[in-house]
Amino acid sequence: MSQAPIVRLQEVTKRIGSRTIIDRVSLDVQPGEVFGFLGPNGSGKTTTIRMMVGLMSLTSGDITIAGHSVKTAFRQAISRVGAIVENPEMYKFLTGYQNLVHFARMNPAITKARIDEVVELVGLQKRIHDKVKKYSLGMRQRLGVAQAILHRPSLLVLDEPTNGLDPAGIRELRDYLRLLAREEGTAVFVSSHLLSEMELMCDRVAILQQGKLIDIRSIGAQAESSSAAEEVLFEVDQPDAALGILEGQGAGRIVDGLLTITADRDLTAAVNRRLVEAGIRVYGIRKKTKSLEDQFLEVTGSDTIG
Amino acid sequence: MADFWKLVQNENMKIYRRPRTWIMFGFVVLVPVLISVLVAVMDGTDSMNNWELMRLESSIVFQLITVFAVVKAADSVAGEFTWGTIKLLLIRPWSRSSILLSKYISVLLFSLLFIAVCFAVTFTVNVAIFGYDASPKGLIPETSPLAGGSPWTYMGASYLLLFVSQIVIVTFGFMFSAAFRSSGLAIGLSIFLLLSGSLISGLLSLTGKAWIKFVLFPHLQLMSYLDSGTGPLPNHPTTLGFSLAVLAVYFVLFNLVSWTVFCKRDVAG
Repeated sequence: MSQAPIVRLQEVTKRIGSRTIIDRVSLDVQPGEVFGFLGPNGSGKTTTIRMMVGLMSLTSGDITIAGHSVKTAFRQAISRVGAIVENPEMYKFLTGYQNLVHFARMNPAITKARIDEVVELVGLQKRIHDKVKKYSLGMRQRLGVAQAILHRPSLLVLDEPTNGLDPAGIRELRDYLRLLAREEGTAVFVSSHLLSEMELMCDRVAILQQGKLIDIRSIGAQAESSSAAEEVLFEVDQPDAALGILEGQGAGRIVDGLLTITADRDLTAAVNRRLVEAGIRVYGIRKKTKSLEDQFLEVTGSDTIG
Repeated sequence: MADFWKLVQNENMKIYRRPRTWIMFGFVVLVPVLISVLVAVMDGTDSMNNWELMRLESSIVFQLITVFAVVKAADSVAGEFTWGTIKLLLIRPWSRSSILLSKYISVLLFSLLFIAVCFAVTFTVNVAIFGYDASPKGLIPETSPLAGGSPWTYMGASYLLLFVSQIVIVTFGFMFSAAFRSSGLAIGLSIFLLLSGSLISGLLSLTGKAWIKFVLFPHLQLMSYLDSGTGPLPNHPTTLGFSLAVLAVYFVLFNLVSWTVFCKRDVAG
């Protein structure tokens, strides 16, 4: 993690009139990292993305991409970026292929072979010469990805990429983004409100609420911290009796018919042993892991759209 | 420069890959053919010479082309906002002004192409039906500064003047498209400018105020210099040079608004 970040947001602020849409957001994205950008609707995810790709101006602060500021060296900065902002809107009256040719012409040195390669990569070979108006949403999404990666960007920015995709499509996209990040070192900056999806896809997530960055956390680190004491649930035949046996064993309680204690690994094993020795039938033991969703709601509260 | 041409190529692709462009093309070809055939059937081929009919048809088709070019100007920028494709277009290593310029050029090229087609069709079809008249009577009015001259010079001058007015109207439409992202407003107001020009200049010339000379509308009627030798405002004598200067000022103004607003505005929603 000592590499120069591919994207750096420094105190990024956007005000429209008297409303502060984005308030001093700072974050770094490393090369090869899949970075999630989470937030409820209206929290400013899309605004931040629009500022990153130059569709909106910054009120103050700066965004650099590969060291180039989007404010002063936009062309250098943006030439490293591929993006889909919101829905992958394409020219419906053109074929998929013509759409790709269109965007290929706007970057230097994209060969015909590269276009074909990308078409194959997103699996659109059979339909690429059809008009886009005949495409399903999933196919448009693939075409959107295709136009974004044509010029082998170092940074891929995707705004709600799984919108409208079926489960297979989502999984495919996830695998593909992972592959891009691993094999080509492409950093992926992806916004979503689908928390479970982000959990599977991202290395790190930032949580945005009402324009403020309230947390950045590593997804991997979360899973590794398993040696700490956590809530452990025991599924037993007589919860009340079990609770009695564990008297003096610390804070045990019964939640939804499950015996719940706070324990680390060793204590969990010890508790299990005592229960079994006391003749209690133990059907199952599991940790009460907090999903990203729980964490997210915990951090953002049940706030209304600001 | 070769790279910039690719942007124009893109815009051209978006114009000519749409079926509606070819419907427009069909109108530009069919309207003069229909008029010539109707005149020939109803009045016989001796009633008019090829030049007179060419002038009549050209003036009609020019209005059509102006409307079509305005529709293209409206689609070109406002359309990208409506389709949402503007977001993909502006996140490329190109400045917004280059992208806007490529759009503007493609619309002017569209207009030039259709004018060339208009010239070719109106000339060919009328020569084919009415024969070629080397020294036509009734084409050039007595009052014209070109009276007694060659019909080629006269037709060439009319096309040039009509094209100049057309550029100003299209630029006006382009401004609404680029700065206000509204294709409806762009098309509607440009057509108003096109059609109400003579009406409004008539009204304006009734008052004696000197500022009337600087209003845009009358100066779009450049043909009056060619046909009557005087300016479009009967009570306010102007020269062709003056009219062109006024048009140039409006032209610069419209483009200034288009470019300033388009290059600065946030692309949201």
